[in-house]
Amino acid sequence: MNFTRTNDVADLEVLLEARNIVRRYPGNIALKEVTFRAYRDKINVLIGENGAGKSTLMRILAGVEEMDEGQIFLDGRPVQIRSPKDAAALGIAIVHQELAVLPTLDISENIFAGRELVKGGTVINRVDEDRRSSSALHRLRKPLPVTTSAELLSLGSRQMVELARAVAHRTRLLILDEPTSALSMPEAESLFQVLEEMKDAGVTIVYISHRLHELMRLGDRFTVLRSGQVVGEGTRGEVTRSWIVERMSGRAEVEHVGRTSVMTDAPIILRAEGISLPPSFAGEETQSPVDHVSLELRRGEILGIYGLLGAGRTELLEALAGARQITSGTIYVNEQRARFEEVRDALRAGITLVPEDRQRDGLVPELSVRENIALMTSSGIVTSKAQETERVRELVKQLSIAVKDVELPIGSLSGGSQQKVLLARCLMSSPKVLLLDEPTRGVDVGTRAEIYRTLRELAADGMSILFTSSEIEETRLLADRILVMCQGRISAEFSRDQLTDEMLFSAASPRASAVLNITPEMIV
Amino acid sequence: MTTVARTLSRSDRLASTSARTLLLLLRARAALVLVLLIVVFSALTPVFFTANNLSILSKHVAISALLAIGMTFTILTGGIDLSVGSVAGLGGIVAGYLIAHGVIIHGVHHYPAMPVVVLAAIVVCLIVGWVNGWLIARAAVPPFIATLGTLYIARGTALLISNGKTFPDLGESSHGYTGFTVLGQGQLFGISVPVWLTIVLFAIAVFIARKMPIGRHIYAVGGNERAARLAGINVARVKIFTYLFSSACAAIVGLIIASQLEAAHPATGESFELNAIAAVVLGGTSLMGGRGTITGSLLGALVIGVLADGLVMLGVSQFWQIVITGLVIVVAVAIDQLQTRLQARLLPYLLRSNPEAGV
Repeated sequence: MNFTRTNDVADLEVLLEARNIVRRYPGNIALKEVTFRAYRDKINVLIGENGAGKSTLMRILAGVEEMDEGQIFLDGRPVQIRSPKDAAALGIAIVHQELAVLPTLDISENIFAGRELVKGGTVINRVDEDRRSSSALHRLRKPLPVTTSAELLSLGSRQMVELARAVAHRTRLLILDEPTSALSMPEAESLFQVLEEMKDAGVTIVYISHRLHELMRLGDRFTVLRSGQVVGEGTRGEVTRSWIVERMSGRAEVEHVGRTSVMTDAPIILRAEGISLPPSFAGEETQSPVDHVSLELRRGEILGIYGLLGAGRTELLEALAGARQITSGTIYVNEQRARFEEVRDALRAGITLVPEDRQRDGLVPELSVRENIALMTSSGIVTSKAQETERVRELVKQLSIAVKDVELPIGSLSGGSQQKVLLARCLMSSPKVLLLDEPTRGVDVGTRAEIYRTLRELAADGMSILFTSSEIEETRLLADRILVMCQGRISAEFSRDQLTDEMLFSAASPRASAVLNITPEMIV
Repeated sequence: MTTVARTLSRSDRLASTSARTLLLLLRARAALVLVLLIVVFSALTPVFFTANNLSILSKHVAISALLAIGMTFTILTGGIDLSVGSVAGLGGIVAGYLIAHGVIIHGVHHYPAMPVVVLAAIVVCLIVGWVNGWLIARAAVPPFIATLGTLYIARGTALLISNGKTFPDLGESSHGYTGFTVLGQGQLFGISVPVWLTIVLFAIAVFIARKMPIGRHIYAVGGNERAARLAGINVARVKIFTYLFSSACAAIVGLIIASQLEAAHPATGESFELNAIAAVVLGGTSLMGGRGTITGSLLGALVIGVLADGLVMLGVSQFWQIVITGLVIVVAVAIDQLQTRLQARLLPYLLRSNPEAGV
């Protein structure tokens, strides 16, 4: 495991090198001088938690996003990648994490969108396009009729269409950003075979995934990103699962927060019994985002739900907050059966949710800090502004929100402060149960620690807190008790002293979750 | 997965068949309504289905069809072009001004040749189209607002050019002109020139939509703009093209009307955009973009034209005609939404009966 490397490593082995890439977003740095190498004819695995910068890096290589600093070399020569067209011209293809299929076009049109085959300079050569599309799909063992409209395809087939785009064109570097998240097991299996074949045929592959067993099986080269920095590089054979997880999660960047012991006999405030949500339609397979989930939350407890993207965490919290209708199961508040038709019902029962996407689901950008905080509680006909302002000021102080004047627009605040504003809004209604969906997404380290401390204090005062996270570190730091969610089900439960990072991660990986009620012994 | 398809229950197959039929009927609604209208009007009034009336009808339809054809591309990208009526007015006024006043160079009146007049009117309209496209694609102004703005700007400019007055007597060849009347009044093989122009533009638009990369890009941008961008499609260029095309169609409409009336009036084309939008939506093009056809828009224009014409023949009050046109627009959009929802609901059935697609 060569963590320090010299610059004169056999460059012939490197197809593409992204050197000292810096990418800044307002408020945080996504990539801090990242140097990433894709080795020729290898499957190069890129690993990291959500927000580590993997997708940003790949989007830069694909010409979707621009870098602020740094250089990209292909075959040792510097290249400029300013648009997806540039990337395509260099033979770089990407299969995006969120599928980029054009719904109203058919398969063949999708494969050649933006790169049509034309005859005489104007007319699309549909015959050649169909022929090449069809042969690409055959190579992928997915012989779909090429005139099928893309919107009729299952998620897995859409993924294959994206892959066919790479196969149908001259591709030297193929980037796959979590390609198996939408695939069934057999589909994933055939994808792996195809990738091995492509590798043998001289295509260099960059593979991003959260699923450890896939990475261990496919990877020739490993690069681990954490918080926008490369924290480990290794090759097949020297890399182990625990090595990966250790690098990924990192250690003690945030100070440990004081913890009060929760009485195991404290009353149960919120209890869910076998709740399910309507299945979402995904091609041939229907899967319920939340599938018979049961949990209990005691007074003063902080319960963490760890899970990967798409595990159903958000949907679960939304169901508990009355934002989604459950199809089966029961929710009890204070051991009394509760029926939430809408968010207001949950609010009345003392349950409130801090949503994951604060821009989309949380803040009203045109309103001031005060108005945003008071949004939920200002339902009376006449709002006493003096009273409201007083309470808002209290909360601003309690949460130490960095704002000079509560009348300033919300947009002038940093991401971390905006998150605190959302928290303050929920606290305005003095809830008994606080639900937080990814409480520190896009929040800087300092503010994180403050948010953790605030949540601790609230719990010590008797508030019950249920949060979800896709970060191992956060889950371990904050939670008294941890549930792991995977494919809509609770796959494991741990007390905080019981577990290791790898246990947590394995329980969240779809394959491991085939075993329900996993125990620590079973994972190791 | 194929086992699923094989073990389809009978009721599933039935549901899938009726789902398909229903969707097919919804998609073909413009054609169905057109046939229905023609049958009804022919039955109610004997003069409806006569060569003379059909010839008048086709001229009316040509105007709204041209605008609808131009409008279709903008709506397919998820946009809209409210400025077409004003642009048509502006095009007519530019032509009228050039014919009536000519251009003064070094104190001497020059009267440009007829093709130059037509070209100049089209170029001026294309400038408006380019401004629309630029505002929408580059300055990120919502299409509704951008084209609402240029609607006023174009109309105001037309009024400024003519000082609010009409340029009369464009058919008289006082300055050695001949031929301006051909555009609106000429005939070729017994079919009027406006109808020919509509046929030609229809053919061009269908060719663009079905055979050219830009046509595919139009559908791609409307279907999923982000994905289109990721696929390397130049989204801005595509959008600008659609507004240029729409303005060109509007310019031709303005010229036809000025030629028919032998006069250019600055208020020509007021509220034409609404007719065009109604025709497009009636023709099955989704206002959300990505879905729709040029042929549908032509059918939509025919439906509206036949409806208006037939109601006149039946002696229905013009006020009622306005009400009915409004109803048609509202019902058309409601049906569009219904179709979208139905399609989403029926997707499982559609997929199940098409095993290759679903797997």
